[in-house]
Amino acid sequence: MDFYLGLAQVIGVHTLLGLSAWCVLHTGQVSLAQGGFFAIGAYAAGMLTVMAGWPLPWALAVGSLVSAAVAVAVGFPALRVKGLMLVVATTAFAEIVRLVFFNFKWRVQGPDGPVGPDGGLGFGGIRYFQSNGWTAWDVLALIWSLVAGVMLVLWWLDRSRIGTLWRAVGEDEVAAQSAGVDLTAAKVSAFGIGGAIAGLSGGLFSHTTTHIEHSNFTILLATFAIAYPILGGLKSLAGTVLAVVFIQGVLIEGLRFLGDWRSLLFGALIVVVMLVRPGGMLSSPLWQPSASRRAASRPKGAVDTKARHA
Amino acid sequence: MNATDLVDLVQSVVDGVMFGTTYALIGIGFTLIFGVMHKINLSYAAASVGAAYLSLILVKVAPTPLVYLAAALLGGVLGALIYYVCFRFLPLDKPLATLMSTVGMLLLLEEIIVHATDGMPQNYPAMFTGAVWDVGPFMIRGDLMFVFVLGCIAMVGLRLLLTHTRLGLATRAVAQQPVAARLCGMSVDRTNASTFVIAGLLGGTAGAMTGAAIGMLSPLLTLPLTVKGLVVTVIGGLGSVPGAIVAGLLVGGLENFFQFVRGVGERDIYVMALLFAFLVFRPGGLFAAPGGRD
Repeated sequence: MDFYLGLAQVIGVHTLLGLSAWCVLHTGQVSLAQGGFFAIGAYAAGMLTVMAGWPLPWALAVGSLVSAAVAVAVGFPALRVKGLMLVVATTAFAEIVRLVFFNFKWRVQGPDGPVGPDGGLGFGGIRYFQSNGWTAWDVLALIWSLVAGVMLVLWWLDRSRIGTLWRAVGEDEVAAQSAGVDLTAAKVSAFGIGGAIAGLSGGLFSHTTTHIEHSNFTILLATFAIAYPILGGLKSLAGTVLAVVFIQGVLIEGLRFLGDWRSLLFGALIVVVMLVRPGGMLSSPLWQPSASRRAASRPKGAVDTKARHA
Repeated sequence: MNATDLVDLVQSVVDGVMFGTTYALIGIGFTLIFGVMHKINLSYAAASVGAAYLSLILVKVAPTPLVYLAAALLGGVLGALIYYVCFRFLPLDKPLATLMSTVGMLLLLEEIIVHATDGMPQNYPAMFTGAVWDVGPFMIRGDLMFVFVLGCIAMVGLRLLLTHTRLGLATRAVAQQPVAARLCGMSVDRTNASTFVIAGLLGGTAGAMTGAAIGMLSPLLTLPLTVKGLVVTVIGGLGSVPGAIVAGLLVGGLENFFQFVRGVGERDIYVMALLFAFLVFRPGGLFAAPGGRD
């Protein structure tokens, strides 16, 4: 039972991470910085509960605000570029964050000896849940109510004017700009909100695992973050949840009986999903072939001119 | 800083520049594929390391130069394979689809390597390991010099291929104007596939060079090589082969410079910060492709 509770916690945390990438992908930008914001949230919230003795809700809120602030600060320069350049710029940012935490050492005297981040050894002893008597069910309830809250907010945002602006920018930047949409505002706001959600999920991550270190936050994590919404399909929030359950639940845990072969199948299945449904799993009703297959069979010239702007 | 420190500093920067040829080759591979298809192939560096791994099969039976040749050829085969699996049948107007399929391929290749070698690093044959040339107060390691020369040969070969053969002409034509190229009766698909093969040949060489310079191969090499390759591509300017070469040598040299000044733990922070500054202040890179494309 504990195993399944732990799995459900992991799925919840990764759903939040996927949702943070969903915000940014919605404006048509591919950002690998989500792992960096996740790390900032994880370290900030962990340090606040362990070293400053704050209660968890405040630590989570501040961790997520710090991540959002960093996201906005990074977003202004980074979002001047797009496409591959943005992928590389955000990769660089995520690597900087990881390496800063690799070198980050700040130990203070706690009740049972020194606590705090210890450079390459990581940051252990984030035992807020354990020392405050939370059961696994309580933690699970907290995580999934936050997931539900974030999804509600995003659902509302998507239907509000902001969501319309984000989608307009994502569909065609030139058209959006000529209609008077402020591209910078749309992109930076999506980046900031995505950063806040990533910081929140990072805070939950550090408190559920109790030990974090720089190797938790590699480019691979950021790749997973954008993989969830892309695999699930950007049209719906449920697609992201479905993709997280598919990857974390089915591919990573469900295939354990295959032993080592599981991880081989993992990459192959991502390739297969993209081949069968290039727009994501929930991009069109399941009984229809994906809409983009029809797009693919259009005259090739039309495809090329569009690919130009990609 | 006294004179011996300065000598050490210059020495390590020179070593870095020589190792930078591997980054340059990986960067050229990314840039070639981007130039022709306007797509990123994120599995490229993994395929390069994979080709070097595959060439280890020959290590017992063949002399070392043949192993390197095999790595290059296998890189070409893997390149074609990746084109047909991750690009050929995906809609090209969805940039996210090919991005994701190549990420899947990256994970798959990495896992195959881990699976086939039980995650143990494998020794890779090097040439001229003992040889050392003394140039004034500096010394030049034979194995690094060999890597450097091999990289330069590969780059000159690529240059000749692109400018003096029909295949190179076709590649450049598709990169410049895919529609016009098709109107002239060229098969864009076949040109794309052959670009992947050319990039794969370079990648296989780069994988072998990395193995030779470090002395071993490890699945842990794939992600750093991918990141460094992308960095080189962007600093050099997307689609620019000379830019990738200059940027590769630059990144190799700077990496060792920062390692010397600030230590191995912090070295990549400065390289990445430099890249970030580059993107903000000069998004086109050193040698941006001419014309108002993108």
